[in-house]
Amino acid sequence: MITNQSIHRGIQAGAVAILTAGLLSAGCGKNDQAAGGSSTSPAPAAGKTIEIRMKGSDTMIQLVTAWAEAYRKVKPNVFVNANGGGTGTGFAALQNNNTDICNASREIKKEETEKVKATTGKDVKEFVVAYDALAVYTHPSNPIKAISIEELREIWAEGGTMENWDQLNPGFKGKFVLFGRQNNSGTYDYFREHICGKKDGKQREFRGAISELNGSAEVVENVSKTPTGIGYSGMGYKTPAVNWMQVSGKKGEAGVEPGIEAARSGKYPISRKLYLYTAGDPAPEIKAFIDWILGPDGQKIVEKEGFVSLK
Amino acid sequence: MAAPASARKRRSFNLFDSIEKPVEWLIRLCGWSSILGIAAIFAFILKEAAPMVPNLDWIHFFTSPRWIPNPATGNEASFGALALLVGTFTTTGIALVIAVPVGLGAAVYISEFAKGKVKETLKIVIELLAAIPSIVWGFIGLMVLGPLVKGVFTAEPGSLWSKVMVTLHLASSDIGASQGTNLLTGGIILALMSVPLIVSLSEDALRAVPDSFREAALALGANPWETVRRVLFPAARNGLLAACMLGMGRAVGETMAVLLATGHSNRIPAALTDPVRTMTATIAAEMGETVHGDDHYRVLFILGIVLFVITCGINVASDLIVKGVKKGNKA
Repeated sequence: MITNQSIHRGIQAGAVAILTAGLLSAGCGKNDQAAGGSSTSPAPAAGKTIEIRMKGSDTMIQLVTAWAEAYRKVKPNVFVNANGGGTGTGFAALQNNNTDICNASREIKKEETEKVKATTGKDVKEFVVAYDALAVYTHPSNPIKAISIEELREIWAEGGTMENWDQLNPGFKGKFVLFGRQNNSGTYDYFREHICGKKDGKQREFRGAISELNGSAEVVENVSKTPTGIGYSGMGYKTPAVNWMQVSGKKGEAGVEPGIEAARSGKYPISRKLYLYTAGDPAPEIKAFIDWILGPDGQKIVEKEGFVSLK
Repeated sequence: MAAPASARKRRSFNLFDSIEKPVEWLIRLCGWSSILGIAAIFAFILKEAAPMVPNLDWIHFFTSPRWIPNPATGNEASFGALALLVGTFTTTGIALVIAVPVGLGAAVYISEFAKGKVKETLKIVIELLAAIPSIVWGFIGLMVLGPLVKGVFTAEPGSLWSKVMVTLHLASSDIGASQGTNLLTGGIILALMSVPLIVSLSEDALRAVPDSFREAALALGANPWETVRRVLFPAARNGLLAACMLGMGRAVGETMAVLLATGHSNRIPAALTDPVRTMTATIAAEMGETVHGDDHYRVLFILGIVLFVITCGINVASDLIVKGVKKGNKA
């Protein structure tokens, strides 16, 4: 009888523990996101409080939030409200005057410029604030040092033809072990867009069997432990324990070594500019914020967040 | 002096008298809280998942391994959870294959053979094992066990070990395991996590077998092994089975350890050392950044319901098995 009772108790305790485990961790995640959405609390009464609304790219949300937090120390009465949602959402918000600044990880499209002009009567102003470059990381023991975008596509895209390293170089055996980011990260989106390419007018998805990791540094860490591994992550995450590959736009062309200069000049194929857009000339306090971002303090944060600074 | 003292005494007596009812209700509430908790949790996940239930392609959900919850602009999302289900069941299966013999063996040793200090020490250490947080287990899997597994399952192509690995599906490539975090590593970590539960519940079950059974076996000339195998195991059968099923429930529901130790790669494993991805780990990794209320968010809750149904099934099954003990005793 004692046995039965203790097992019964065990059953109930077990059920509750199992149920809460999954859901609690999910719940915690949500809270984190809520905390990340609006970055700073309203300013204390130090003169008039000014709110700057920023919305757009999810790739940039960490960076923009870091800017917002640091800027509080410079101008305590300016409250920067940073939001994600995607670059397209940011441009839509700019048209509807739901944001002061649109954070964009791509250049504005012609029709978006026209829409902003039509609804607000103003021309958009563009500010390049940083570069984002992804490196393709491999194990130091891997003899293959260069790769083309087309080959990367066959390795990463759904329905791709490359499974084994010896398809690139007969001297190196083993299957590709792919390390990427989780499917809601901006890095995932960017790599998919640039590498997987399009098929029948539709963006190709990643293949299955990619280890989806929750951090840029985790990708590099896993590649460093896996001789046949290959992974993509921000250029800023390079460590001595991994190599990065030279990447060429087309097969047969010479690969470009990733690096700050190559990213800034646009020679390195997996790099892009990160922008801020405003409708018309920004108001003085917004202009001051953007100038601060373009200055040394703002650019230091760019590097700290794993992006490439302007200078 | 005597009068005020007795008055105080009477007042305090009245105080206790007046709070007796509320306390009784409080205790009753404590008793019911677990049921209320379960009902509230189930209602919550059902409410969050409900709008997606009629819209989800259920056949696709259970038969396709194509899990693309965040498609590129213009593409349709694909919620195929087959690989996640397979990941959960394979890691749990490997965990059970390891944990059941080890757990039962340990329980038999502690209950029947260990004496005095050894017995007490073992019991305390096994309880300590149960107290290690799951994230620590995950970390051990990632940093210690992973490299070890990778080291063992590595070979020169063409060597005997390489051929053995490929033939027996121990590794999917002729150089061995591609990465340390994989199905086997996750399974071993889960086994280590379920062993304490299996040991303590099995030991309870064995201890509940009356000593007269052991004495009778001894009188018939049975050696200790025969006593355990022919007398104790059949007598405690249902309790032992329930212990193993609860160990299985523990393995199915585990999240953080498998997130770190399995490689988190959405695929149907072809070999023992292929990385996999479980349902729990998927919920934990993706829930944080979904848009509240969109399809992806709701499908993650549907995964939660599937998990709920599985664990409830396991618990109900072990409950029925325990009831079987009662019936058996009466008959």
